[in-house]
Amino acid sequence: MSSQKLLLENAHIEGIRYYDVYRKNGGYRSVEKALKMAPDEVVEEVKKSGLRGRGGAGFPTGMKWSFIAKPEGVPRHLVCNADESEPGTFKDRYLMEFLPHLLIEGLIVSSYALGSNVTYIYIRGEYAWIPDILEQAIAEAKANGFLGKNILNSGFDCEIYVQRGAGAYICGEETALIESLEGKRGNPRIKPPFPAVKGAWDRPTVVNNVETLAAVVPIINIGGEEYAKIGVGRSTGTKLISACGNINKPGVYEIDMTISVEEFIYSDEWCGGIKSGKRLKACIPGGSSVPILPANLLLKTAKGESRIMNYESLSDGGFATGTMMGSGGFIVLDEDQCVVKHTYTLARFYRHESCGQCSPCREGTGWMEKLLLRLDQGQGKLSDIDLLWDIQSKIEGNTICPLGDAAAWPVAAAIRHFRDEFEWHITNAAEAQTRNYGLAHYADPLPVSEPVAV
Amino acid sequence: MEQKIMIQFSQEQLEKVNQIIARYPEGKQKSALLPVLHLAQEVFGWLSTETMDYVAALLQIEPIEVYEVATFYTMYNLKPVGKYVFEVCQTGPCMIQGSDDIIAYIGERLNIKPGETTEDGLFTLKVAECLGACGYAPMMQVGKFYKEHLTKEKVDAIIAECRNNVSVNN
Ligand SMILES: Cc1cc2nc3c(=O)[nH]c(=O)nc-3n(C[C@H](O)[C@H](O)[C@H](O)COP(=O)(O)O)c2cc1C
Ligand code: SF4
Ligand code: FES
Repeated sequence: MSSQKLLLENAHIEGIRYYDVYRKNGGYRSVEKALKMAPDEVVEEVKKSGLRGRGGAGFPTGMKWSFIAKPEGVPRHLVCNADESEPGTFKDRYLMEFLPHLLIEGLIVSSYALGSNVTYIYIRGEYAWIPDILEQAIAEAKANGFLGKNILNSGFDCEIYVQRGAGAYICGEETALIESLEGKRGNPRIKPPFPAVKGAWDRPTVVNNVETLAAVVPIINIGGEEYAKIGVGRSTGTKLISACGNINKPGVYEIDMTISVEEFIYSDEWCGGIKSGKRLKACIPGGSSVPILPANLLLKTAKGESRIMNYESLSDGGFATGTMMGSGGFIVLDEDQCVVKHTYTLARFYRHESCGQCSPCREGTGWMEKLLLRLDQGQGKLSDIDLLWDIQSKIEGNTICPLGDAAAWPVAAAIRHFRDEFEWHITNAAEAQTRNYGLAHYADPLPVSEPVAV
Repeated sequence: MEQKIMIQFSQEQLEKVNQIIARYPEGKQKSALLPVLHLAQEVFGWLSTETMDYVAALLQIEPIEVYEVATFYTMYNLKPVGKYVFEVCQTGPCMIQGSDDIIAYIGERLNIKPGETTEDGLFTLKVAECLGACGYAPMMQVGKFYKEHLTKEKVDAIIAECRNNVSVNN
């Protein structure tokens, strides 16, 4: 089954990175259409579309936009979050590299809807070659009257500037991003006040992900209601998934959110199956922060239904047996991978990226990293597993920003579902240094739970 | 031989700084700090105290405001680095594709450990966390660009290319 493409449809057209080719293929129509509407009507279309933020949290975009404060005489800003640093996630990079004009087009329409005359793209510093691509697209759009003063004689003025970060995952968190935009350390702010009221330079600010803002283009072109017909339930439209790990075809895919996880992994249209004919062991389907699932719970929910690539189905069962859509960073582990070691690298990542403001996060991430390294190296004790559990539970919910939770969840899920693999690293410490635990029972069919009579 | 570099932007670079400042609201020139530090590092190679003080003066902010930022972000070099910096990603998705072996191999070839610079000042090896190239692993950043799908052969070729560039340019 083939998915409808709304974002990447034209990605492979030669020269689509340049204005002329992009325009010839229908580019900037949404700006022409939106600028004839009232800004609130644009917000209304986005509300109707059901679009949910693609940066990880999945918050409804139209609703977020309607919260922006409009005090008299105070400028408002839209900031595009291109910090993309969640392990497993590389979809925004793809959009910006191959379809820069799609993002610029989405930014113009969204800036109009929000009343942002100066809009910023905050891009992770390591994507050092991409600002040139974006700045060229901005210059071309401006030369053709889609940016600058009085765009298409609408009276709307808009400039877009690109700012590079300098290596800090935490700057993807929206208030840290704003601090960084202001030339400070990326320490998240305590909310409230929310950025929609007091954001960059204390002005009302909306921060949205690259993919979210690109999706505004098809929403305006086809209308919010049509967009909402694609997908299922509250998972409307299409989603970019960046797939990596032990699969035959890693890459960035656009899916409508009706295909099953199994189809996504095994179909030649998507990941093309597990590499070298190995068997699937585990998967982190939404970026490093979301819970890891063993193969059996990944492909089927605890109720025995086939799991679908959308917000609702991926989180079916809560954290006990489900996971999350997150940022769409889809990490696949085959039977040869060690969950303990993989979890250790993630713990190291979060320790490295903690901004250090809150002690549960600063101390907890360091402690978890040390314990996991010890376990991986065969020097752990059985009590370390309980200690890890205890530490992660004390971080979750006790910090200024969600990085604390994001650090706790991968550890919690790994222990929840792979506890025997952790134990084996202790009971069979010497052996664990020479081979890994393998697939074990992680792909076994789950017992079908009988409905419990009350 | 240790060369003393004058910490001073050229006229053209100063113009660039002014363009960057103009992107932000009036009086909020501190916002230009991250981009101006990137520029300073590009021009002077790394961020010495002298360089940071110079940037502070340019943006009319306190030197401490610059130090705070320069020490927070991993991309700013607070000590000299080699002409070519190899930053190899070691996070989960790269680890399962063999990044540990790549790091070890580069270390062996250049006879340095992560964090060190070769004696001739040509190469620095660093480990990095996820760089957003997980589907093209293993990978490393070299200067502005990414080198992806690394193998030992590819690493050899990259090292040779860097050495070659240097001998051509000198
Ligand atoms: C630690 C942390 C890192 C984040 N990194 C990103 C990121 O790289 N890109 C992104 O769009 N959102 C990121 N977010 C989410 C943002 O805070 C924010 O919710 C998002 O940019 C809103 O845009 P959206 O509604 O369009 O998704 C991060 C959040 C946290 C807590
Ligand atoms: S949770 Fe961690 S990253 Fe977030 S503010 Fe606290 S210390 Fe900083
Ligand atoms: S894990 Fe290495 S680039 Fe993402």
